[in-house]
Amino acid sequence: MYDKFIPTAADYVRFAPEILLTVFGTLIMLIEAGRKEDQRRPYGILSLIALAGAIYLAFPAYNNAGPAFQGMLIVDGFGTFFRVLCYVAAALAVLCSGQYLSREKADSGEYYSLILFSVVGQGVMVTANELLMVFIGLEISSIATYVLAGFLRDDQRNNESALKYFLLGSFATAFLLYGIAWIYGLTGSTDLSLIRAALGSANPPNVILTGTAAALMFVGLAFKVSAFPFQIWTPDVYQGAPAPVSAFMSAGPKAAAFAILVRIFMTAFEPIAARWEPILWVTALATMVVGNFAALAQVNIKRLLAYSSIAHAGYILVAITAQSQIGISAVMFYLAAYTFMNVGAFAAVTHLAGKDEKYVNIEDLAGLGQRQPVTAALLSVFLLSLIGVPLTGGFFGKFYIFKAALDSNLVWLTVLGLLNSAVAAYYYLRVLVVMYMQDASAEVPAPKPVSGGILVALVGSAVATVILGVFPSVILNFAGKSGTLNP
Amino acid sequence: MLDTFFFYAFALLTVAGAALAVTMRSAVHCAVWLIASLLGTAGLFLMQQAEFLFAAQIVLYVGGIMVLFLFVIMLVNLEAAARERQMRKRWPIALAGVLLLAAGLARSLEEGIRLPAPRPAPEAAAGNVQQIATVLFGEYLLPFEVASVLLLVAIVGAIVMAQREDAR
Amino acid sequence: MNLWLIPTLPLIGAAVNGLFGRRMPRMAINAVAVLSVVASFLLALNVFNNLGDQPIVERYFTWIASGALTIPVEFAVDRLTMVMLLIVTGIGSLIHVYAVGYMAHEGGYYRFFSYLNLFMFFMLVLVLANNYLLLFVGWEGVGLCSYLLIGFYFLENWATSAGNKAFIVNRIGDFGFMLAMLLMFNQFGSLDIPVVLEGAKALPVEHSAGMLTAIGLLLLVGAAGKSAQIPLYVWLPDAMAGPTPVSALIHAATMVTAGVYVVARSSAIFTHAPIAMDTVAIIGLATAVMAALIGVLQNDIKKVFAYSTVSQLGYMFLALGVGAFSAGIYHVMTHAFFKALLFLGAGSVIHALEGEQDIRNMGGLRSKIPITFVTLMAAGLAIAGFPYTSGYFSKDEILLAAHHHSPWMFWVGVFTAGLTAFYVFRCLLLTFFGEYRGHAHHPPHESPPVMWIPLAILAVLSLGGGFIAIPHYLEPVLGHAGQAHDPTLVIIATSAGLIGIAIAAWMYLIAPGVPDAIARTFKGLYNFVYNKFYVDEAYNAAVIQPVIEGSRIFLWRGVDAGLIDGIVNGVGKRSRGLGGILRLAQSGNIRNYAAWVVMGSILVIVFLGFSGGAK
Repeated sequence: MYDKFIPTAADYVRFAPEILLTVFGTLIMLIEAGRKEDQRRPYGILSLIALAGAIYLAFPAYNNAGPAFQGMLIVDGFGTFFRVLCYVAAALAVLCSGQYLSREKADSGEYYSLILFSVVGQGVMVTANELLMVFIGLEISSIATYVLAGFLRDDQRNNESALKYFLLGSFATAFLLYGIAWIYGLTGSTDLSLIRAALGSANPPNVILTGTAAALMFVGLAFKVSAFPFQIWTPDVYQGAPAPVSAFMSAGPKAAAFAILVRIFMTAFEPIAARWEPILWVTALATMVVGNFAALAQVNIKRLLAYSSIAHAGYILVAITAQSQIGISAVMFYLAAYTFMNVGAFAAVTHLAGKDEKYVNIEDLAGLGQRQPVTAALLSVFLLSLIGVPLTGGFFGKFYIFKAALDSNLVWLTVLGLLNSAVAAYYYLRVLVVMYMQDASAEVPAPKPVSGGILVALVGSAVATVILGVFPSVILNFAGKSGTLNP
Repeated sequence: MLDTFFFYAFALLTVAGAALAVTMRSAVHCAVWLIASLLGTAGLFLMQQAEFLFAAQIVLYVGGIMVLFLFVIMLVNLEAAARERQMRKRWPIALAGVLLLAAGLARSLEEGIRLPAPRPAPEAAAGNVQQIATVLFGEYLLPFEVASVLLLVAIVGAIVMAQREDAR
Repeated sequence: MNLWLIPTLPLIGAAVNGLFGRRMPRMAINAVAVLSVVASFLLALNVFNNLGDQPIVERYFTWIASGALTIPVEFAVDRLTMVMLLIVTGIGSLIHVYAVGYMAHEGGYYRFFSYLNLFMFFMLVLVLANNYLLLFVGWEGVGLCSYLLIGFYFLENWATSAGNKAFIVNRIGDFGFMLAMLLMFNQFGSLDIPVVLEGAKALPVEHSAGMLTAIGLLLLVGAAGKSAQIPLYVWLPDAMAGPTPVSALIHAATMVTAGVYVVARSSAIFTHAPIAMDTVAIIGLATAVMAALIGVLQNDIKKVFAYSTVSQLGYMFLALGVGAFSAGIYHVMTHAFFKALLFLGAGSVIHALEGEQDIRNMGGLRSKIPITFVTLMAAGLAIAGFPYTSGYFSKDEILLAAHHHSPWMFWVGVFTAGLTAFYVFRCLLLTFFGEYRGHAHHPPHESPPVMWIPLAILAVLSLGGGFIAIPHYLEPVLGHAGQAHDPTLVIIATSAGLIGIAIAAWMYLIAPGVPDAIARTFKGLYNFVYNKFYVDEAYNAAVIQPVIEGSRIFLWRGVDAGLIDGIVNGVGKRSRGLGGILRLAQSGNIRNYAAWVVMGSILVIVFLGFSGGAK
């Protein structure tokens, strides 16, 4: 009876990346505690080492794919993909953070620890095969992110951002937890495979109660991916949070939430798919419309990117609505492309915002093409990819998503989605126009040339964005293989 | 019979306590009613023969967390908050929402009545605490351990938020 | 054959000028830009010599291979592509040479040539691509370059707003193209052009709307966006804000014919979807008439030629719609000759008059810039369909096919031909004859040889280019489309052009008071046409304002209360400390937001609850 108390070596191998990250997160805090006043702070480097190590360890874990810790986790292609994606997103955010934090005089170990812990949470989420693990992972990731959003405590915007995120986020998590409780009551299990078996059995639990449980969990997860009508927090929080944190928030936690949304609804709730499909259909459309049209009226670039991220969440929901293997692959590919182009755009904003983020309006970018051709060119790559111009990752992402939708006969969703993406060109283009076709304003000082970590993050994201556009097979093959979620 | 009576008594305490906790004006009163609600839940746990949960509920929530709440409330001047309007002009919309939800839930309940009769709670083979330990350190070992990361994050977060700029 | 070299050379040119141009001497920039395109032209000629009846296909690598989706990077040359290839590289070379002279005094010289070469790259990818996805890469790429080049004089606001308009309208077209691609993939399981076309040929002809009709109509949306057809033509006249060589290359000779090319390339789809075909013909004809009418009253020399381009593109669509695909391509070629010449000549005039574009301020330039005068007259004769000029052959081909399809289309086409001859000669006569009415500080001067030599070459092509028997050459690809030669119809069509020229000569040379008298008599009609049928205003009122204002009012005020407001109104400086945070929680925003979450959840829960019962 006691042998199940002892985890096997395979369990540890499959969980090794998260263990490594936790160790480094703790280590950073210990170093901070013992640091003398005049010593350097090596946290950025340590975090990067930890994330690189975690990426490295994700591969042996994948080669030993399978469930771990009594079926609490499952390491499969899908989980591994998102695991690595979250690590990469965090690494990009860390690269942007060093200069930002020293500019704001807020360099401290806790920041990096929180990022690493948040990634641990995301790693747990995306490999979870059990609703309790989902919940704990989500909470770890979220709480760390709430704090990061308000990291500059003396900044009004940070305070407001963190508070809104925290209150509304907790509210949404309560919905998720309540849904888990319902499901447990209905099926007697929190294991995704067992729930699926119970719902798909010849004698399933009451359909209305199951539907309500699914609805409650959907609300919780829809909040995290900022789907309409739960997107309401996104613009405020992204605008108020420190720019590198916005970069991080818009990528890692979002990708993880999408991963778990797909996993729960495509495995556990797959037997009742016919009933949640209309909800997803409406949500996908409304999210695209609200994101794209509200973005038209924005003047603040962080807020613009927030709305853009809502719109992109809408496209991804279209792929989930397709409920097919190619749909799941499309979600994976799109999130990879989205991570690079969006984090890249936020990285550029991080650099250009200046001390105290004074210059975050679109107008402040005037003349950037002349003042800083490199930053402007890199930002243009991200914007073009966000528009969905061919030879960028954004184009292929959209192409696959709408192909998946059309394959599943979602004709109107495809048509309306494509129209939306035509509208979207307008607001991204405005940024390009301001950068290249307006004279620099005398009130905005010329930004310093981009260098160091931000430059690495920018170039890395731009290269990845272009590679995903020119050689999409790099990711697509893997996504195609992993699109089958076998419960 | 006695069971039924106690169930409804605890249920009433839980629901009424929760309702009063959100509607009372004074923050101290809110906290006290929240304690009442938590006690009601504890009673429900006890009726399900979940002694461990019952004890944890009383010791942690009522004893620990709520006492801390009360301390904070008393330390902070909340007069300004108490003067805020509790109801907004848009209450009809809220009412409509509540009615809609009630209609939906009523429908669920209508279906729920047709569920098979509830089974009696399983007789505990061993002690309740021992069973929880077996499950917690066996099947649910990983969530249990990972929850420690969650607590760590919460502590770090609390420190970051509480620490003052000039303290460094 | 190394087809890949043809687009790659301009790409290298673009890269070299874009990256190092800032530090390069002008001569080096010129050499890189011009020689890369000329080399492409020579390579294309080499391909031409080796091309038989069968297409040359070259496969380079597998672009995407994932499950059902396999897309290689393949270039293919058949006779249709060959014609386009020669037009693009040939005219492109001439215009590059011309631009060396035209842009000599402009800033951002290297940037201009870098964009221009980049445009050549994408345009060549577009015509060489052997699958629709790769074609789409070129398609979007040329749109982007067009946008960059329209906005080239970026310090002037109208240039950027024109660029924006072009981009947005093209995005609407791209939406159609993308949807067409997705449908093709759904239907035929491939995006390879030969596979799709074979698949389409295997399907029965659709006499009521079906999949092929849908694909055809969506392709038409895309083509209408790129080739400036109703209702998406509005961007092209504004696009003339760019430098004149750009107008000639992109907005007259090459890019705008991409839509024609795509429809001709997909002819198998259209011939199996008669509804889509008829739509193409009607849209083409309507565009031809409408743009010609607008052109009659324009006073900006470039605007006149811009509307004339829209009108001529309408002709090409008419040709496609009545099944005369090869006639459409024929007209693409002759139009490339004479329209490039018209624009370059206009550029030469503008150059001579220090930037003046209004024909009311010109006049009498015949003797001052004689070479420009002669070449422009040649172009004018060609577009008017003067016997044995290039336009005469291609236009007759189209009109005969239209007559064969339905005679009323022929008559409308003839009327348009007359209008075309009239407004082009109105413009030319006002420019070159009469007294000089302008106020230039220096006397007008002839352009340097680097500019007039390309003009001369184009003039020769405009006059004699019709003898290149394109329809015959294209027979292996597009089938035999020649109609029985009917001398009566030819005479009618030709005389319409001659009558147009004659009326123009009468009104602007012999009796100069007549135009004003007509304008006074038909004042309402005159204003209606003069203001381009108020189409821009209608679009603005019906589409643009509602979208922008609706977003601002409904979504911004309704959905998005705004962080900024929160800081200003709600919290102030008191947000520090717990009390402050609790107060913040009480302030409006968070409550509202929570209300949103609650309302949303109620909807989701009620929906799933209710629908749960109704299995």
